[in-house]
Amino acid sequence: MSTDPLDRPWRLWASVAILSVFVFSVLFGFVLLPIIQGRGAGLDAFESICRALGLRPGSPAAPQPASEAKAQPTTRVAWSAELMQALDRPSAIGAQLAAACTACHGKDGRSVDPKLYPDLAGQSAVALYKQLNDFKSGSRLSAVMAPLAQPLSEEQIVAVSAHFAAFPVRSLPPAQMPAPSEAIERLVARGDPTRAIAACNACHGEQSGGPPEAPRLTHQGAQYLSAQLRAFKSGERRNDIYSRMRNVAAVLSDSEIEGLAGFYSTTFTY
Amino acid sequence: MTHARRLALAHFWIGFIAFAIALVLGVWQMWVRSPLPAPFLTASTYFSSVTAHGTAMAYVLTTFTVMGFGYYVAETALARALPAPRWAWTGFWLALAGTLMAVVTIFSGRAAVLFTFYPPLIASVFYYIGLVLVVAGSWIWCVLMIVAMGQWKGANPGRPVPLAMFATVANAVMWLWTTVGVTLELLFQVIPAALGLKAQIDVGLSRTLFSWTLHAVVYFWLIPSYIAFYTMVPQAAGGRLYSDTMGRLTFVLFLIYSLPVGLHHLLMDPHQSNAFKFLQVALTALVSVPTLLTVFTIGASLEIAGRLRGGRGLFGWIGALPWERPLVLATGLAFLMLAFGGFGGLINMSYGMNAMVHNTSWVTAHFHLIFGGTVVIMYFAIAYTLWPSLTGRAAPSLAAQRLQLWLWFIGMLVMTLPWHYLGLLGQWRRVATFNYADPIIAAWGPWVIVSLVGGLILLVSGLLFVRNLLQFAIGRESHVPAEVYATAVHPPLRVPAALNGFRLWNVLVLVLMLLAYGYPLAQFFIIDPPGALVHRVDQRR
Repeated sequence: MSTDPLDRPWRLWASVAILSVFVFSVLFGFVLLPIIQGRGAGLDAFESICRALGLRPGSPAAPQPASEAKAQPTTRVAWSAELMQALDRPSAIGAQLAAACTACHGKDGRSVDPKLYPDLAGQSAVALYKQLNDFKSGSRLSAVMAPLAQPLSEEQIVAVSAHFAAFPVRSLPPAQMPAPSEAIERLVARGDPTRAIAACNACHGEQSGGPPEAPRLTHQGAQYLSAQLRAFKSGERRNDIYSRMRNVAAVLSDSEIEGLAGFYSTTFTY
Repeated sequence: MTHARRLALAHFWIGFIAFAIALVLGVWQMWVRSPLPAPFLTASTYFSSVTAHGTAMAYVLTTFTVMGFGYYVAETALARALPAPRWAWTGFWLALAGTLMAVVTIFSGRAAVLFTFYPPLIASVFYYIGLVLVVAGSWIWCVLMIVAMGQWKGANPGRPVPLAMFATVANAVMWLWTTVGVTLELLFQVIPAALGLKAQIDVGLSRTLFSWTLHAVVYFWLIPSYIAFYTMVPQAAGGRLYSDTMGRLTFVLFLIYSLPVGLHHLLMDPHQSNAFKFLQVALTALVSVPTLLTVFTIGASLEIAGRLRGGRGLFGWIGALPWERPLVLATGLAFLMLAFGGFGGLINMSYGMNAMVHNTSWVTAHFHLIFGGTVVIMYFAIAYTLWPSLTGRAAPSLAAQRLQLWLWFIGMLVMTLPWHYLGLLGQWRRVATFNYADPIIAAWGPWVIVSLVGGLILLVSGLLFVRNLLQFAIGRESHVPAEVYATAVHPPLRVPAALNGFRLWNVLVLVLMLLAYGYPLAQFFIIDPPGALVHRVDQRR
């Protein structure tokens, strides 16, 4: 095949042309440009080349600013794959610890008074874990829950969260379920872009794309849900990351808060 | 020879049916984003719709069209029966099964991750397996194209492979290279996560692997249009191809400079360094070489045709061209859209300017103009050109074809030019609804509505396209297929092996890929960064 005298120069010059463009780009982008940029930023040549290559952090064109951030995180929970897996496994320790919860939340996680205390049965273990952690750290304030959560270790919080999540949710008598108004359904499914309200379902829905810690809202008492929305609205409750819930609740009217609470308290799905 | 014809028809129809459905979804999405109240709107229907639209347009329409066109070229340009037609049908059914699997998963609301996947979002595994089957079907096509060319070369030693087939095999070779990135991402990262085998996913690695595919995939879609420019348009215009060698060089350069350039899609991503981004941007700039070669060569070929038809003076030949022929008209319109889109592309690929338009509607508008405009209008023209020989019938009305092409061109400009402008104003992409009560966003409203009108024109044009193809059924029978391939001014008697095969270019691609992607990929294994938690969209924790 390659006996043709035309072939050899093609091989040679095509390779030379392509590789010389490559070498030029490398010299320019890996060496020349970083050195010039680094000079402006007061960096020596070696440092700026290392930065340009990604071997050291920072931009070759700017000195790395020292962080002076003083803000405190809203919550100290950090998710990891191991934590998520542990939250999927109910354990005997969880069952023992749960005895302390039964006075309000019931033996099987069904609240003794849904107006005041949320159901824990069937709630997402991730959401329970976050709330217990926040009660412990003081991110979420509660005179009742704080003293109960503070002595719990990380493992105990995981165990008790996984325990309650494993119970089946409360069944709702169908007679209690009025048809929701169209405006409320729209808020749930579509939100209200004119007020920058995302659909509730975007995080709390059956197939949500939202943060993992978003709790299930269905089957909870309406009074409990509306109390939480009002607490977010007033800023009394502030353990929502990025103020997500405070921003939404701030622009909800009182009747919308009641409507949404009623909607979720009487809905099976979502 | 009927095998390749039936294959080509089957492939084209699957592609065009997917196109028609996706077009309706696209218009609805424009409507949702506009200030006008749209029906069926929820966040999940919107993102499911965007996923379906992207999957159908980018993977189904394109892959099936490229495959169908390739089978046609392999049989007609080489004047030989297709090798192993049974395998070709296997590829077809595989890709079709994959398409159906992906589509059913999307419409059941379990795959709203958009067609570029965006890990750590994870959809139902059936969506990804469906796409893997589509790719597997296309790999069969690649092998068949390479085998067909190899057999022809064996039977015709020393003779140059016809340009149309050389270009088709260039695309097949490029596609094999291209799909490596996304296949690695799917097989080793995304599908294990979708199966629940992995709880974390290294998003930097998956984005880098996808970027490997992301630019070359666009050239995979584009090359059929370029094949038409080089091998069919000069013939349709009544002229000759100015240079066969320019064509070969163009396709070789596309092969080389479509691959080690993908980091220009990650210019704002923090996990890749400035230097490698710069390198790949510099290599991206070289794509202008085959593009300009093509503009020059096709311009010269059309000038030959225009002068043969009596055109005089500096520009007189342009008016003398047979614009009433759909393929010539489509080429003119495609070049205009390429000019607009190419200008926008220069801004996207420039490291600094990218920062202004990144994640804005500008980018969406850009790829609609280049792909939906330049590429797809040539798909229409290719279909119009091949249909007489595929169906054995003549087109009943060229006027309807011209009207359809004009509507597509007008619709595309009306849709994408305001869309670009909205991007400059800051309108973000991948967003379902906007707060038009905000005075700044309210000012976008009228332009979004203009875009929607463009979308409606495109819908009319797309439906007219399907109707025009169906109309062939009532056309008169014509059993003398017209010659579709152009002859070069100097038909090549022999060409160097470098321009008659891909061995040298494959080696160069390998070298460039190792140099340009080696460390950017290896760093994820050297540094071992933490993974992101898998976030399922098909179920709730």
